[in-house]
Amino acid sequence: MAPHSTTIDTAHIKATAQKELLDLLVAVSPASSTLAFMWNLADRLFRYVVPPPTPGAAELLIAGQDHGIDKIFWVEENVVADVTQKNVVFLVRCTVRNALAIAAIYRSSLDATTYVTGEERSTDKPTAHVKSNAKIPGQQFEYNVLFVPRRTLVCEKILEDEGVLGDLTIGEFPLHFIPLEPDLLSLELEDAFEELYLRKDHTSIFYSARALMNIQRRYGLFPRIIGKGDCARRLADALIRMRGEEDASDSSSSPFALAPSSVLGELIVVDRESDFMTPLLTQLTYEGLIDETIGIHNSKIEVDSSLVGGPQQSGVATASSSSASPAAASSQQKKRPIPLNSEDKLFENLRDTNFAIVGNLLNKVARRLNDDYEGRHQAKTVSEIREFVGKLGSLQQEHQSLRLHTGLAEEIMKHTRSDIFNRILEVQQNLAAGVDPSSQHDAIEELIARNAPLESVLRLLCIESLVGQGLKPKDLDNFKREILQGYGYQHVLTLAALEKLQLLQSRTSITSSTSTRTNYATLRKSLKLIVDEVNEQNPDDIAYVYSGYAPLSVRLVQCVIQKPLMTRGRRGEDPSTPAGAGATVNWAATGWRGFEDVLKSVKGKTFDELQRGEEKAVRARNLLNGANEKRVTVVFFVGGCTFTEIAALRFVGRREEGKREIVICTTGIINGDRMMKAAMEKQ
Amino acid sequence: MSHNSATTGWERVEDKYYRTIQLYSALWDPDFDLSDYIVVGAPYGGALALYKDETRIQAYRNSQQSKSSIDIYSAAGRLIRRISWDKGSIKGLGWSEDEKLLVVTEDGVVRCYYDLQGDFTQFSLGNGAEEVGVKECRFYPTGFVALLRNNRFISVSRYDEPRPRLLADPVPFIPATEIIHSWTILPPSYTLSRHVEVFVSTGTTILIVDATEVLDQMLQNGPFVHISVSPNGKYVTLCSVEGKVWVIRSDFQEKLSEYDTGTGGEELPRAVEWCGNDSVVLAWDEEVHMIGPRGSVLKHYYDNFVHLAPEIDGIRIITTEKCEFLQKVPDGTEDIFKIGATAPASILLDAVDQLERKSPKADDNIQLIRAQLPEAVDACIKAAGHEFSAHWQKQLLKAASFGKSVLELYSSDEFVEMCETLRVLNAVRFYEVGLTITYDQFIQLTPEKLIQRLVNRQQHLLALRVSEYLRLPTDRIYIHWACMKVRMSADDEDAICRMVVAKLTGKRGISFEEIARTAYDEGRGRLATQLLNYEPRAGRQVPLLLNMEEDEIALDKAIESGDTDLVFFVLLHLKKKLPLANFFRMINNRPVASSLIESSARETDPELLKDFYYQDDRRADGAHVILRDSLAQKDLSLKMEKLKLASKLLADAKEHALEAKALDESAKLLHMQEIFEKDLQQERFVGDSINETIFKLIRMGYSSRANKVKSEFKVPEKRFWWLKLRALVAKRDWGEIEEWGKTKKSPIGWEVLTLLLAFFNECLAAGNTKAASIFIPKCTNLPPADRMDMWVRCGNMVKAGEEAFRAKDANALELLRSKAAGAAALEIDRLLKQLRPK
Repeated sequence: MAPHSTTIDTAHIKATAQKELLDLLVAVSPASSTLAFMWNLADRLFRYVVPPPTPGAAELLIAGQDHGIDKIFWVEENVVADVTQKNVVFLVRCTVRNALAIAAIYRSSLDATTYVTGEERSTDKPTAHVKSNAKIPGQQFEYNVLFVPRRTLVCEKILEDEGVLGDLTIGEFPLHFIPLEPDLLSLELEDAFEELYLRKDHTSIFYSARALMNIQRRYGLFPRIIGKGDCARRLADALIRMRGEEDASDSSSSPFALAPSSVLGELIVVDRESDFMTPLLTQLTYEGLIDETIGIHNSKIEVDSSLVGGPQQSGVATASSSSASPAAASSQQKKRPIPLNSEDKLFENLRDTNFAIVGNLLNKVARRLNDDYEGRHQAKTVSEIREFVGKLGSLQQEHQSLRLHTGLAEEIMKHTRSDIFNRILEVQQNLAAGVDPSSQHDAIEELIARNAPLESVLRLLCIESLVGQGLKPKDLDNFKREILQGYGYQHVLTLAALEKLQLLQSRTSITSSTSTRTNYATLRKSLKLIVDEVNEQNPDDIAYVYSGYAPLSVRLVQCVIQKPLMTRGRRGEDPSTPAGAGATVNWAATGWRGFEDVLKSVKGKTFDELQRGEEKAVRARNLLNGANEKRVTVVFFVGGCTFTEIAALRFVGRREEGKREIVICTTGIINGDRMMKAAMEKQ
Repeated sequence: MSHNSATTGWERVEDKYYRTIQLYSALWDPDFDLSDYIVVGAPYGGALALYKDETRIQAYRNSQQSKSSIDIYSAAGRLIRRISWDKGSIKGLGWSEDEKLLVVTEDGVVRCYYDLQGDFTQFSLGNGAEEVGVKECRFYPTGFVALLRNNRFISVSRYDEPRPRLLADPVPFIPATEIIHSWTILPPSYTLSRHVEVFVSTGTTILIVDATEVLDQMLQNGPFVHISVSPNGKYVTLCSVEGKVWVIRSDFQEKLSEYDTGTGGEELPRAVEWCGNDSVVLAWDEEVHMIGPRGSVLKHYYDNFVHLAPEIDGIRIITTEKCEFLQKVPDGTEDIFKIGATAPASILLDAVDQLERKSPKADDNIQLIRAQLPEAVDACIKAAGHEFSAHWQKQLLKAASFGKSVLELYSSDEFVEMCETLRVLNAVRFYEVGLTITYDQFIQLTPEKLIQRLVNRQQHLLALRVSEYLRLPTDRIYIHWACMKVRMSADDEDAICRMVVAKLTGKRGISFEEIARTAYDEGRGRLATQLLNYEPRAGRQVPLLLNMEEDEIALDKAIESGDTDLVFFVLLHLKKKLPLANFFRMINNRPVASSLIESSARETDPELLKDFYYQDDRRADGAHVILRDSLAQKDLSLKMEKLKLASKLLADAKEHALEAKALDESAKLLHMQEIFEKDLQQERFVGDSINETIFKLIRMGYSSRANKVKSEFKVPEKRFWWLKLRALVAKRDWGEIEEWGKTKKSPIGWEVLTLLLAFFNECLAAGNTKAASIFIPKCTNLPPADRMDMWVRCGNMVKAGEEAFRAKDANALELLRSKAAGAAALEIDRLLKQLRPK
């Protein structure tokens, strides 16, 4: 059934997923039983879907009692301690590693036939150990495995080879897109970057295509798929192939199920590989900086509870405060997960602004809030007082959020004021602006000597390699030696991985290879990547997100949807001057038209595919939904995107408000440190 | 032409009417004795399964005939399939709602015949069923429960992935002298827990057993020889050994009616079943009693042995000579046809009759019910659905049609739908098809499942017609037909392929893979290959191709599908099957495959990875695997050994000279660190980088050792001084730093200022503002504003103020004033006054 909405209903995706999970859980658990989730194997994501083992939190997602489930909680560290749990659920991604771990846990639970009360726990292979007091004679456990997003042949084969397939109940939980925000859908595949570009494993493309297929199934085909990059091309191919297979296999679907949509406009696929540089630069928006310094995972941060103030905020009482003395409580316990999303109105206003003005904004809010509190003195009549009391709740909430963000901003400030941070930023901006890289070498060497984080140093070198088409062999060898001596010889592997990723290369190896590379030097001019005058207060260009550098990835999107602006920019005119400056490019042109030559300096294949359907069906659909003037443009990042890119796209979206709405999809959220960590050996 | 009156076979029980409809006659030869058989009917008027009752004494027949078999008949008595049986004693025979025949043997083996053609899947009950033995089984639409001889119950809740589970143990609740007299199940869809419950009669009471617990209902009237649950799960009927029958609610809270068979326990009924949801049928050998809701009775006598097949809205009564359907007359039908009916629909029906006789009374009738005409039309349409006789269906539809022609605004959707449905129902009720489905059953079963039943009966043409008529997908029918063709046809393979392809191309949703698989299973390999080429979905072809040992094609098709899971699955399969060299050869020129193997082997199988790189001559990658090994190694000597091995691999290639050297250095460093650890007991060094090692040595005060490391590894001066500075700061050796700061000429050719700033920053970062401030006055080359800022960062407002004062910068002073407090504020005020004497 095609909904008559004009946008993608992301809340629907979430509601569907929750219902599906609930149904699955009800199916595995008999009456009034307890569900125990294996905590350690679960991807961080599922800790998000099913709340962590805090008392009272379990009810958040699943009001269990209505469905015959008594209690839901997580089992930590493989310890099936509580004998009342008859049902153990593994909610895991369908990876080989997880399948092997499940088999190991299951088998060891069988071996354990006697009580072991000691705290012995094998350290080298934590997944293979279940504390054995789980087993009471006659007690039978039901082991359920829910593979996300699907049960795969490989996982089943492995379980079969391990001899445990018959004893496990296996299901699948088809969770693809997670709506992080109404305009942001993410697959939350944390390893997608490493898999795609380093391991050349395209699994995430397959899942991306599936996720997009779900959207197409609901809203109709994207009339146009435009993209840049080899992996982007693969995604488009997969989508087109899936559509063909759907046509062939689904005989019952209504005739316009797979006709071009009247809601969706184009799908723009951006390949991370086409623009490695953007995430390597330090993000300078508020949300971006939080991600750089603290790290945002699944829309959550973990911060010291002192930052947040009293525990009244979420009603999740931390047990540590009462049981252990403050000194004994480890820092681990004091960390608290805080959701960061648009439900926090203050954060919604702050997230995409340049960090430079966040302090000011916070001040303003503080003052207004103070005024609002002062309002109580003006309240004289009973009804006025009642009105004030009515507002009190929201005021307190705002106050709480103000305290959190002031705390966060201070935390980040500590970081941004540091000498090393500023050094790094300076080098980055110089390199991005095209200053002679060799002038920056002293600074980089100094950073190494001062033991700056390896990720930061590598980011700088990679930026140099990307901008300057590789390093001079002599320089590269020198830096390699510096890094190996400074951070350890194990980084031979890291450097090799970066080379394989084509992030850090010598000039000779680049000239000898035939593949094209993104040429930032030419693009800097043709797409105006560097903007010298940035108004951080009232931004007039996306470059504000990096205080002067406009993300190439978003510039590419602008080439498709903001042609007038981009062509003016290209002709060397100020993009802010009003239209009419004699542009020769046809503004109504679609797809990449007008930018073909520019795209030649960007790495990867360029494509522009039309998806047509039966004419009759298209007309019927348009008749039903009315011809929408406003369409949804979906921008899909293969390999992940940064918060700055999201902010920049939102900025573009606001400019285009009348014509289109932008929904951002991605395989995951990424930043430069995460890219570097992908290359590093996991310990 | 005369027709039976619509009320033929109606009988009044209490205030309601019940009707017996004769569905088919002469099902079997008159001398065929049904009393020898167990007869089980599939729900929704489905097929009958017959099996010789082992407990009955059999007349001796010659061995040919006594070979046992399960016979599947249509409801009209046409033999669909004879399944010969030699797997031992059958303890359970039942149907699922989608007409799968389930056979449970004594040793706990379950066979699920999923079509009516004898194809089956098989699984075992496990849980000790094999040793203990199965006693009895009870079936519900999607599963069943088996009772073992040790009084334990095993439940199976689905057949696609059966997972037999032991229910709670009722044995402790059964007194030692007692047995289980009878039992039945409450299907999961009606229980609170959504899992099956078992009602067990033992002693005088009834136990309710589910997955986790056993509940004693504490009844006094038992033991009960029959327990039966109504189709909607709300009521239970109990038949005691004294021949008394009770109807109670299934929550055991209320008794609804009671009836005494009057046999006093002498001749207890052979079977007790529900007829719809409001009456109970007791069957003896040739006699059937139907007990109404308030205990009145309707008695039917037959000439032969009687079998019962309960349905959701009635009950089938099967004898050798006929098959009858007993049900409560639907309310709408009763209103129309009962004697003296005055319902509007009844009058409307009469109007049609008058119309046919060209009597003007027709119009009078219409005028009479004018106001209720819409309801009358609706009622006629509904009643038509409940009729089995085509004549009355027509009459009622005519009435509806006549009625709605008078109405100005009336949606004909229901009328059209009913006409279509009836056409389908009449077609499938035809005795050669033999599906005695009622309208209500059809609605509950759904048209799709009805079509599946037709397909299972090999009625492809009818299924196709019905599907097209009801606008339903036809792909499954075509596929099934093609599979049957492939299996049964005696034609040569090319002809079959041509025929199948000609019929099926251009149809949506056709899975040639399924047909090809059937061909392959039949041993027609070439045909399978031919057919498989027509499969549009690359991924679907893979498993079959693997079965057919077309490994290379399978791999290519998997890659083509873009589904990495499939690719990896094929690879796992091939890795196990092929010699390693062949396996590598197969993946070498397929980058998707080889990168999958690489990334998975990285985690699970480094040896494979080494071999893979070796045969592909990828030395650097091979060396990296060994290096990773070395890193994971705990033992130092092994660690170094591996390092050397890796370095040797790299040594020959010029482009890896740096790496090779780095690995050698790494070994050398380890060696030195080992010595340091021996010499300087208190610190760990192994695993540290060179920078960290130097840093630690200086911090601990062993500068000569640090210098040795420096010269050994050619650490540049500049870096070394940085390390020294940081180490001294960490050591809090401010004196040494100060001394160092005094040397006018920096040892590494830096500008003094750079060095001073570095000192300042490092001290500040270490939190020692006092040490940091030592360096501020020395920075004479800096502009005053910078120095002022440095003082502020040290927290010394006064000094900052002085700096501003010296630069005569009043604005800066003002700014400082706003930040300062206490004594510092006063001091700045004083300076301000001096600067601005006014």
